Amino acid sequence: MLSRVAASLYCLSRYVERSDGMLRMLKINYASSQDTVQEFTWEPVIRIFSGQDEETKKLGNDSRAVIRYMVTGKSNPNSILNIITLARENARGVQEHITKDLWQCLNEYYHTVKDIRLDNSLKKDDPISVLDILIKQVMLYYGTVEITMERGEGRSYMNIGKYLERGIQSVDILDTKFGSIDDNPDLLTDTTYWKHLLLSLGGYEIYLKTYREGFEAGNVLEQVVLNNDFPRSVIYAVNHIQRYFERLKNESNIDHFRELSFYIGRLQSHIKYSSVKTIKDEGLHLFLTQIRSQLFGIGDALNNHYFANS
Amino acid sequence: MQESAYFNQYSPIRGVWDEMYGVDRIRDHYSKVIDYLSTESTDDLTKKEELAKRLFMSQGITFTVYSSGEGIEKIFPFDIIPRIITAAEWAFVEKGIKQRLTALNLFLKDVYNNQFIVKDGIVPIDIIYSCPHFLREMYQLQVPYDIYVHIAGIDLIRDHDGTFYVLEDNLRTPSGVSYMLENREITKRLFPDLLPQCGVRSVMEYPNILYKNLLALSPRQISNPTIVLLSPGIYNSAYFEHTTLARLMGVELVEGRDLVVNNQKVYMKTTTGLQQVDVIYRRVDDEYLDPLVFNPSSILGVAGIMGAYRKGNVAIVNAVGNGVADDKAVYVYVPEMIRYYLNEAPILQNVPTYQLGNMDERKHVFDNINKMVVKKTNGSGGYGMLMGHASTEEEIEDYKKEIIKDPRNFIAQPTISLSAAPCYIQGELHPRRIDLRPYALCGPDGIEIVPGGLTRVALKEGSLVVNSSQGGGSKDTWVLA
Repeated sequence: MLSRVAASLYCLSRYVERSDGMLRMLKINYASSQDTVQEFTWEPVIRIFSGQDEETKKLGNDSRAVIRYMVTGKSNPNSILNIITLARENARGVQEHITKDLWQCLNEYYHTVKDIRLDNSLKKDDPISVLDILIKQVMLYYGTVEITMERGEGRSYMNIGKYLERGIQSVDILDTKFGSIDDNPDLLTDTTYWKHLLLSLGGYEIYLKTYREGFEAGNVLEQVVLNNDFPRSVIYAVNHIQRYFERLKNESNIDHFRELSFYIGRLQSHIKYSSVKTIKDEGLHLFLTQIRSQLFGIGDALNNHYFANS
Repeated sequence: MQESAYFNQYSPIRGVWDEMYGVDRIRDHYSKVIDYLSTESTDDLTKKEELAKRLFMSQGITFTVYSSGEGIEKIFPFDIIPRIITAAEWAFVEKGIKQRLTALNLFLKDVYNNQFIVKDGIVPIDIIYSCPHFLREMYQLQVPYDIYVHIAGIDLIRDHDGTFYVLEDNLRTPSGVSYMLENREITKRLFPDLLPQCGVRSVMEYPNILYKNLLALSPRQISNPTIVLLSPGIYNSAYFEHTTLARLMGVELVEGRDLVVNNQKVYMKTTTGLQQVDVIYRRVDDEYLDPLVFNPSSILGVAGIMGAYRKGNVAIVNAVGNGVADDKAVYVYVPEMIRYYLNEAPILQNVPTYQLGNMDERKHVFDNINKMVVKKTNGSGGYGMLMGHASTEEEIEDYKKEIIKDPRNFIAQPTISLSAAPCYIQGELHPRRIDLRPYALCGPDGIEIVPGGLTRVALKEGSLVVNSSQGGGSKDTWVLA
């Protein structure tokens, strides 16, 4: 497979996964903004998915303005509109490596976000309905990948991109949410705070089935980092990176393969042989920072050795 | 025969060959389509038109127009009413194109080797050497099977009496074949069952024939040679076509940056190292192909590719330097070439053409400029043309000055009144001017032409220019069995 093609498949998959995380986050945060007596702060969401600057400061805590900035904002390089445009450009360059169904599906996602009517609805209608339309597009994308894509090298790169992105997102979300506790210790015992975190990761039901003692920070941490069966946990993402990377083994570039295998294996062990207690002893922020930089390291090594971008 | 309102109000243009309307009645080969359409209301047809637009859009069959920093997606306008060609008309066209292409391939071989045609005084030497597309880099470079033109898109038009004429030979990188294929796919959706009822021949074989020909060109005698389609990239207006063809043939779509030349062999960069490339179907123009030989600032090409080509380590399709054969000044000599190389009378006629380099002909053209179309010899896409009948005095005078500066660069042709076909325009049928571009594929086994082609249509009322850059659209083209 051409290096450029592998890189495009990987990027396209990361962008779509990022849009999925963002949309779910926006949806749950909007819902909780309608359900509170205090002023609702959008700052963590902006910090995770776009980064703060002069423009985001002006948005303040106006829910509709924030959602528009994050979804259809042209000036926000990380808005859904802009990242899906990039995903589609990547897909366009590798059209003959993805199925026609998948190309049409991404194309439709793009046209849906770009449609002026969507932006108009965000201005005046129910934002949740709009976000649901887009979430459905992402689900269609995942279904189409699952049903139509050849189980080959291309799909392995797509999956590596997807799980790398997901791992980074879960780490960022945890770091931000737990970081807020330092400023506001009351949050530690605020059950709605944890409930919203789980909802935005789609982990609410699993949590209820696993833990009987109500919402507790340590349990949330355990689920989002260490639960092998929770599809948005960090360990789940790393296990899948490992799984799909193994399939790329090829005698002609065995040295690079071994190097990356080493990075992935080291990260996997680091998480696997941690527990809530060791993480707390080590310091949560430090732990998450390390995981994050190792995930980025894997991305860099792929860039250098597999995508000819060095 | 029951005829619905659309056909009663259809009024053919006077003095123009109408593909559907003969003398006071509908031609036989259109009658089945008309019976079908008369059962449809205006609403139904308009719905079909919208469906067609939606299908093109959702499949990303679009080109992007960049304005104010933002890309706007546009579709190439599609008219839902098919253009129909009878079996007899097609047999004639097919025979004519085969003959013409055979002669053109012989001409290219000759002009880049012994130049017998020049020595025998058939084509003047200055016409060839003054052509910017005549490339000395191709001199005595041996191409596989002596085939230079593997893919030709020869443009045909019909005069007022229905005679076919060749308007131009596109022998470099003719485009539009994906529209031939996609238009047919759309028609299948728009008019269920109509295609088999009318006995329309299929065009689906095109990618298979092309693939077979590409495979045969591989310099390495191995079972699985690497064939690639070289595209300038996603910002090229024909990018959709490049991906469609790559997908249909199952070959790798590459850009210049994916290829590298080492030791006069071409390789592509893959995730598992370099892989040798045997055949390149390139959609990059000659001038951008190799920065070491042609335009040094080109980043679309591959440095050193011409060296590998000369060495015979890679086959390039179409051959480099074909522009000398589809130059509009050389076009004048194609009928002579057919007589010279094949000793046959040309089946398809040229449009009468005046070379403005010739004093007598220039005077004749200037005296009759209102009846002339003046073109640049290496222009394309309908740019830089002067339509005598539709220009102001001032435009004509300015254009004349341009001509006198460099007369070799211009030719003139009498205004041909292109044939017309019915188009569905705002709920009514109106005649609009059309041309026809069939796609001929030349391989070691001979020349094959899929029964069909691209019918381009000038959608503006009264317009004679069918180019998409000038407001043209396209139609599905049916060849009947």
